Amino acid sequence: MLWVDKYRPKTLDQVMVHEDIAQNLKKLVTEQDCPHLLFYGPSGSGKKTLIMALLRQIFGSSAEKVKVENRTWKIDAGSRTIDLELTTLSSTNHIELSPSDVGFQDRYVVQEIIKDMAKTRPIDIKGKKGYKVLVLNEVDKLSREAQYSLRRTMEKYSASCRLILCCNSSSKVTEAIRSRCLNVRINAPSEEQIVKVLEFIGKKEGLQLPPGFAVRIAEKSNRSLRRAILSFETCRVQQYPFTSNQAIPPMDWEEYVSEIASDIMREQSPKKLFQVRGKLYELLINCIPSEIVLKRLLYELLKKLDEELKHEVSHWAAYYEHRMRLGQKAIFHLEAFVAKFMSIYKAFLIATFG
Amino acid sequence: MFDMIRSSNAKALARGEATDHVKKVALVPKKSPQKAEGKIMSNSLKTNVNRKDSTTGASPLKQKEQTIKHSSLPWTEKYRPKAPMTSLGINHCWLKNWNQQFLDTGNKGKSKKQNDSSAKKAVLLSGTPGIGKTTSAKLVSQMLGFQAIEVNASDSRGKADAKISKGIGGSNANCIKELVSNEALAVNMDRSKHPKTVLIMDEVDGMSAGDRGGVADLIASIKMSKIPIVCICNDRYSQKLKSLVNYCLLLSFRKPTNNSLGDDSCASPTLSCMVSHEQGNGRVGKVDGSIDFGGWLICLIVYGGGSFIVTFPIAYAFLLALEELAERVNGDMRMALNQLQYMSLSMSVIKYDDVRQRLLSSAKDEDISPFTAVDKLFGFNGGKLRMDERIDLSMSDPDLVPLLIQENYINYRPSSIGKDESGMKRMSMIARAAESIADGDIINVQIRRYRQWQLSQTGSLTSCIIPAALLHGQRETLEQGERNFNRFGGWLGKNSTMGKNLRLLEDLHVHLLASREFISCREILRLEYLTILLKQLTDPLRLLPKDEAVEKVVAFMNFYSISQGDTDTVVELSKFQGHTNPMDGIPSAVKAALTRAYKEGNKLRMVRAADLVSLPGVKKAPKKRIAAILEPSEDGLAEENGDALAENEEEDSSDTEDLEGTADGKKLQSELNSLNSKGIQVEVELKGTENSNTKKTPRGGEKVGPHLWKSLQAGEEGVLDPREGCIKEKEMRIDYLVLRNACDWCKWSPLWTMYFLWVSWRMVINFVNGFSHG
Repeated sequence: MLWVDKYRPKTLDQVMVHEDIAQNLKKLVTEQDCPHLLFYGPSGSGKKTLIMALLRQIFGSSAEKVKVENRTWKIDAGSRTIDLELTTLSSTNHIELSPSDVGFQDRYVVQEIIKDMAKTRPIDIKGKKGYKVLVLNEVDKLSREAQYSLRRTMEKYSASCRLILCCNSSSKVTEAIRSRCLNVRINAPSEEQIVKVLEFIGKKEGLQLPPGFAVRIAEKSNRSLRRAILSFETCRVQQYPFTSNQAIPPMDWEEYVSEIASDIMREQSPKKLFQVRGKLYELLINCIPSEIVLKRLLYELLKKLDEELKHEVSHWAAYYEHRMRLGQKAIFHLEAFVAKFMSIYKAFLIATFG
Repeated sequence: MFDMIRSSNAKALARGEATDHVKKVALVPKKSPQKAEGKIMSNSLKTNVNRKDSTTGASPLKQKEQTIKHSSLPWTEKYRPKAPMTSLGINHCWLKNWNQQFLDTGNKGKSKKQNDSSAKKAVLLSGTPGIGKTTSAKLVSQMLGFQAIEVNASDSRGKADAKISKGIGGSNANCIKELVSNEALAVNMDRSKHPKTVLIMDEVDGMSAGDRGGVADLIASIKMSKIPIVCICNDRYSQKLKSLVNYCLLLSFRKPTNNSLGDDSCASPTLSCMVSHEQGNGRVGKVDGSIDFGGWLICLIVYGGGSFIVTFPIAYAFLLALEELAERVNGDMRMALNQLQYMSLSMSVIKYDDVRQRLLSSAKDEDISPFTAVDKLFGFNGGKLRMDERIDLSMSDPDLVPLLIQENYINYRPSSIGKDESGMKRMSMIARAAESIADGDIINVQIRRYRQWQLSQTGSLTSCIIPAALLHGQRETLEQGERNFNRFGGWLGKNSTMGKNLRLLEDLHVHLLASREFISCREILRLEYLTILLKQLTDPLRLLPKDEAVEKVVAFMNFYSISQGDTDTVVELSKFQGHTNPMDGIPSAVKAALTRAYKEGNKLRMVRAADLVSLPGVKKAPKKRIAAILEPSEDGLAEENGDALAENEEEDSSDTEDLEGTADGKKLQSELNSLNSKGIQVEVELKGTENSNTKKTPRGGEKVGPHLWKSLQAGEEGVLDPREGCIKEKEMRIDYLVLRNACDWCKWSPLWTMYFLWVSWRMVINFVNGFSHG
């Protein structure tokens, strides 16, 4: 079992990093008035862990009896019917799904599922009408239409179901939805907190941690706890006993992106652009989301770039990232960014060195 | 079938030989058409019927009249050939043999008919427009003395009324029905007096809303038909014709290939010959003897030469021009003729350039392949194209052309930038083009997703025209050994691979979720977990001794309910071009051991893997099973058998009171009572009851049916295995009350009752056997 999952806190009381938030949530739930919740924060900060713990707090251990289902929706959209299939995770009291997986037809899923839930309202032991919880992942990836349709249904059926939304960036969630929810920001844990957790795990596993090792992992982890624990375990698999200067292996795709970045820096020519396109395709084929590729690529380029270009390049990256969201064929936009960068950088090189 | 083709080929060859002969005859003595015709008559092979037609115009006077009458016709009609072409061999045989095949064998016994591939009562001709399907169908029937009745898209061809005894009632469909089924009309009449008939159903793929049930009715007609039916369509793979295809002998017409160098093309000689006829009166056009005349040509010479005297303004065409024409029309005979006639109105001599000029503007739209379009856009002269031409080019395939452009734009060295030593200008051009292509993608989303079709021109402007305008010039290769031609767009392939990988990843994700330990989303799984998953799955195999490694990996897989397919997915998704394959360095013996070890545990795992694949025939079972297995209180090993038993038992206790037997039930009860009275207790013990005792979930009585079904299955199983000590104390009783309950449930269905009776009887028998053995 991976350590990430093994040492994941199961209840709100066990939480190590965001104790204050956990306690607040606990109070919120025990007062029987749970509003819609929107959890947002960078990945690896513990949103999902908190949500699971919260569900457990509300519904007891029954929240853990989940079943995985491939649900199909037949949606009557005017002249044609659309078949949508989506994997859902559900217990008697909650349903969890990532509607953005069905692409731009997510709107129908959002509408249908909430109506479905409203139809079958659970009754708790005391005979009071209870509510179901719908956990929606990756709300920031929902299309605008889906968010609009969510807005109405959220209010209309609020008596019978509560929504817990989870996303990385609240800026991509419309204002209307944000104002209907209690926004809970989950900060990325500080490096000290990460080190604390790592040491806790090390102690439980009975490992000898050389001084400074945990700190290095925490530094490398980009303040993502999950990332830290995963690479901690990767190190463990790779080499044990630890040495304090042991290399911390990067993720496979990050390595590849940094290769692309150094390719771009080395030569700016149509030929190189063509090769870079092949490599970008490779990343996309391996299911790396295009936004992440672009972001990482920018990160790697900025590391190697002169100060005066950084601003301009970041501007263009943002520009193309926005357009990538509007478009559909990610590779076109990635390539456009690379081409733009090449032309800027080439001009810069010629201007500087002649 | 093959024999037939061969024989038809032989015939074609023979005809070809004859052709040469005929040609000489036909071309040389143009000045005296009658004479020529006489000779041809003696030479022509089997055109008896038509000859009659043609010879009617034997006297010069009559001929003149006919000419005047005919001159207003379009050439396509006028020169419709009147003898078959080579490809009709099979059709010909088929039609000729039709009578023997279906009418005579009908009398003598049908055993032969089934195996014979030609034993189909109808034939389906298919091919692109304008290559002479209808013509040849008519010709053949005419030649063989059939009277052709043509029904085409201009007639409504819906379903015939169920009973046509009312008469045909003006409906076309009813007419057809009557035609094909009425023996009097078809064969049984005196054959010498009445021509045999053949039904030609033209344009069967054009049956549309007005012809509801048309195809089905046609099939029905074919089945009962007493006359041959020839169906004609453009696309035989059309969805509409799927059912029809099975009932027809399929014959496909290919386009006449036009090899621009060779003279063996079909269309061009035909044309040249046609032109030569239009010239008439011995002013023979330049028809080279080197042209191999195809089947078309003979027809034209024989009949065209015989029956028409040309009083037209004389057209004179060079062979080259005709070849160009043949190429331009893309094998469409009809279009070629129309063009030719049109040109002959204004000019007497048709030259290569004329044809080119004229057909450049009026060439068929589909002629432009996406590759040609991209070539033209990016070519040296790309900058000189008019805007509307560019739009036409890019709109020739608005989906594919942008992809081709995107794939290839990097390869072009723009001619517009002049000297560019550093490559600076080119790079910035490329950047602009790339941005424009990206614009095109955004517009495409607007068009497709939000149906803003008015943007389609803008889309083609940004995705094709601007990049091409920026970069048109000379193409150069970027990779060693690459051919200097435009590549096919890579996006389509890559995108589908991506889709496949996403699906695989989703499978893995679901399996991980089913293990109840994993909670993250798919993206996180790919980005962060995959590295360590791969390490956990492959590293031990490489480092540890074999057995230990296998054990460790299998344990890991079991824990996360990762299947072997998922392992492959993990490996597949971690592969990067230019990096080492993660599976390298693992000895194959270890891999095999892993597979074996994994498969050993399969039985226990079956449920855990939570496969969401729907099993054929089983609809809801898998989900239920998954649901059951994911409940934490339950041991993963709990057998379904146990579950069923648990349900059994509780049902037993809850259902015993509420029984009011039906007649069947009483009967059964009395039967069982009689058994009881003989001192046999119907008591059955089943293994695993202790296990099932632990879990009791109350269930309503309304689901008695399926539960009982299970119970009986389980019961049977228990009884069938007496050696395991099934018949002991601490039993679970399936007594007659349960059976009566069963009858209650299945009172709607006597079949069920029978079945239950049978099962219970078997149980008793088995029990007795077991008892006596023990």
